[in-house]
Amino acid sequence: MSSDLMSAMGAAATGLRAQTVRIRIAAENLANADATANTPGGDPYRRKAPVFRTLYDREIGADTVKVTGSRMDMSPFQMKFDPSHPAADADGYVKLSNVSSLVEMADLREAQRAYEANLNVIESSRAMMLGVVSLLKA
Amino acid sequence: MSDPTQISVFQLMKSRMQMLGERQRVIAQNVANVSTPGYVPGDIDQEAFAATLQRMAGRSSGPGRTAMVATQAGHMTPGHGPGSPTLSVKKSPDSETTLDGNAVVVEEQMMKIAETRMDFETMVGLYQKSLGLLRLASRAPGR
Repeated sequence: MSSDLMSAMGAAATGLRAQTVRIRIAAENLANADATANTPGGDPYRRKAPVFRTLYDREIGADTVKVTGSRMDMSPFQMKFDPSHPAADADGYVKLSNVSSLVEMADLREAQRAYEANLNVIESSRAMMLGVVSLLKA
Repeated sequence: MSDPTQISVFQLMKSRMQMLGERQRVIAQNVANVSTPGYVPGDIDQEAFAATLQRMAGRSSGPGRTAMVATQAGHMTPGHGPGSPTLSVKKSPDSETTLDGNAVVVEEQMMKIAETRMDFETMVGLYQKSLGLLRLASRAPGR
């Protein structure tokens, strides 16, 4: 029984980790939102998105979650007419990154919510375990 | 009857607490996988649990029911012994499924967590009270 509660805490802890990675990737995207290419006509920063996967962890004894990597967002870049820019191509257009700050903010908020939910699970499991331990005290 | 874990009340409480612990683990899995595409949350099959619990309670002291007894060395004990009802996890998608196929709604899982915790604490309280009753009964009179 207590091992079940330990498994619950273990699974929630992997959830916390995964959401932290997600927040880190969103922060990277936001930080690089204005990064353009160094060469004329080159590609700017491309948005990254985390990939979540369910993995059964034998040691924990529960279905855990892991961010197995990130994939590139292949949506098209924005084009801006700015002939004086060092990254402008022959027609005077600069490619801007496909990061949308609105999307990133929404993603951050969602990650935060999921993080809090996982914390809640850990807190509940801990309280339940302490309840059983208190049987010894009486 | 000397072993308190053999009294049916304690046995029932124990199996319910086992079920609640298992349920907590399943819900933790659901919450951890709240962003995994295609994940469908699970939950303990409460009806199956209640059914086996009823059968368990009936087997030990039900009117008109007789339990099988091993009278020879070659006899096998029937099915799962008392104190271990079957716990089966079934898929139970929440009210919403996102575009990527994930069917976990955090709010609903939080409600389940609170429910499980409350049930569990009730069981701990009951267990404590029952132990107190035993202690009262075993105390010498007038003390």
